Amino acid sequence: MDVMASLTIIWLILPFMVGFSIYLLPRWNRYFAVAIAALSVLYGCGQFFGWEPFSLTLTDSFGVTLMFDQLTSYFILMNGLVTAAVILYCFDKQKSPFFYTQLVILHGVVNAAFCCADLISLYVALETLGVAAFLLITYPRSDRSLWVGLRYLFVSNTAMLFYLIGTALVYQANHSFAFSGLATAPREAIALIFLGLLTKGGIFISGLWLPLTHGESETPISALFSGVVVKAGVFPLVRCALLVPELEPLVRLFGVGTVLLGVIYAIFEQDTKRLLAFSSISQLGFVLAAPAVGGFYALTHGLVKASLFLTAGQLPSRNFRELCSQSMPRVFWWVLVLACASMSGLPFLAGYSSKILTMQNLLPWQVWVLNIAAVGTAIAFAKFIFLPCQAQPDLQLKPNLYWAIGVLLGSLFVANSFYLEAYQPSNLLKALVTTGAGWLAYGLIFRGLTVKLPRMFEEFEHLIGVMSLVLTGLFWMVLV
Amino acid sequence: MFILEACVFAVIFIGFFGIIFKQNVIMKILAMDVMSTGAIAYYIVVAARGGIFAPIQGEIVGRAYADPVPQAVILTGIVIGFSIQALMLVGVMKLARNNPTLEAREIERNNTPWM
Repeated sequence: MDVMASLTIIWLILPFMVGFSIYLLPRWNRYFAVAIAALSVLYGCGQFFGWEPFSLTLTDSFGVTLMFDQLTSYFILMNGLVTAAVILYCFDKQKSPFFYTQLVILHGVVNAAFCCADLISLYVALETLGVAAFLLITYPRSDRSLWVGLRYLFVSNTAMLFYLIGTALVYQANHSFAFSGLATAPREAIALIFLGLLTKGGIFISGLWLPLTHGESETPISALFSGVVVKAGVFPLVRCALLVPELEPLVRLFGVGTVLLGVIYAIFEQDTKRLLAFSSISQLGFVLAAPAVGGFYALTHGLVKASLFLTAGQLPSRNFRELCSQSMPRVFWWVLVLACASMSGLPFLAGYSSKILTMQNLLPWQVWVLNIAAVGTAIAFAKFIFLPCQAQPDLQLKPNLYWAIGVLLGSLFVANSFYLEAYQPSNLLKALVTTGAGWLAYGLIFRGLTVKLPRMFEEFEHLIGVMSLVLTGLFWMVLV
Repeated sequence: MFILEACVFAVIFIGFFGIIFKQNVIMKILAMDVMSTGAIAYYIVVAARGGIFAPIQGEIVGRAYADPVPQAVILTGIVIGFSIQALMLVGVMKLARNNPTLEAREIERNNTPWM
């Protein structure tokens, strides 16, 4: 047990030490960064297959705890695999040591966020994450990237201030910062803390900052953000729902809300990266809709979404209309088809088993809504699958792109073994019918349809204003 | 105590509405600072619930001590808050080169693809 604790603390601190040392070893920085990500994968595997769940209490009696169990291990695995793939993708991109430093620190902070079981260490992790994310968004130093980064930091910092006030209320009630204290805390505290986490995790209307941020960042950064970083806000919601049963209905409700909102926007989106970002908003809802099995869904979504973003960055255009008129290389099309099939829940990749597992853990009132949403997901991703492609023998691809995508899709294939019970005839039929219905609807209705949904709510002032609305709504929900 | 709490929440609200209603980005950042000052002050109020005597080890017993934990915790919050503000101001300095008025709506219109 003591050995475990020491190993865990070393693993948590190492990314920060290495992140700062990378500056001194500019030639080796990429290799060190990959090693750190690989270490997290190893740790996640160890956690997943062998070790007993345990928790580390850091100070005497104020509830500052780190918690390690099966749920954590899914998220840590996801973080390690996606970070490794993103670094492999950047191998030949001539990024400065500063970039790798921020990347490794971000990786460490996200790991820390996935282990927190108390409000205050989570606050520190999420705020540090905001800073590292800002520095990565603004890495190109263009005016647009600066504005997108500032907007992100504004929204996340304001939301975290509300979270901080909620934390004070929880401490006042329990003299402890542990998540479990939410059960005995005043109701307002729950509303304030949820506002912070919903905004940080990109859930429902609090998540409308996400499409522009993920759409306008560079390709590897978008992949990392949509794959891993937003889940640092989602994970605590899952954890709270499991520790405090009274909160579970609220978390499930927000899960269903965000699934619908994201899917509706994704279906009508004409821009590849924005479609993927809206799909993230909706997929995170599947994680919240069944918190007990959310870890597996988060893992598969992270792997698929990262590979989709990395591939979308290679396409000749970001607009679906232009992509329809110019064929993409066939090799990218195959990657897109595999990833979109997993996203739509077709068999043989882990997206299928995780979707089945989530669907089996829903409450009766959620089942219909999420089945319709699953059809919507298939419609949205049919846009990618039915794009034209052609063989381009003279296309010179860098081997590291193959490595990055290979890591992600290979892990997806292996992750199938986590839940083999999903492969039953009734489930297979349901998956095929859902996806078939989606593709049919796409071909008959949505293919020729052009609907421009309002983008007004993505403006900066509305994002801040919506916080007051969400907070009012949350007060009303928790007090009833 | 009640008056104090009401004042603290008033500061938080003033800061929050400042972020929405102020046009200039620097003013928005200052408004966010006002809001975080309110949040920090709230921790101090929470710490002073049991008493306001500084908890320093010594001869005196039986005094009503302030709770040291929220104060210790909010130190971290203060550091995080001001470092984020510093970072944002650096970003605004860079933006100021091409957007000398620093009006949020102008900057947004220039840097959002669909506006």
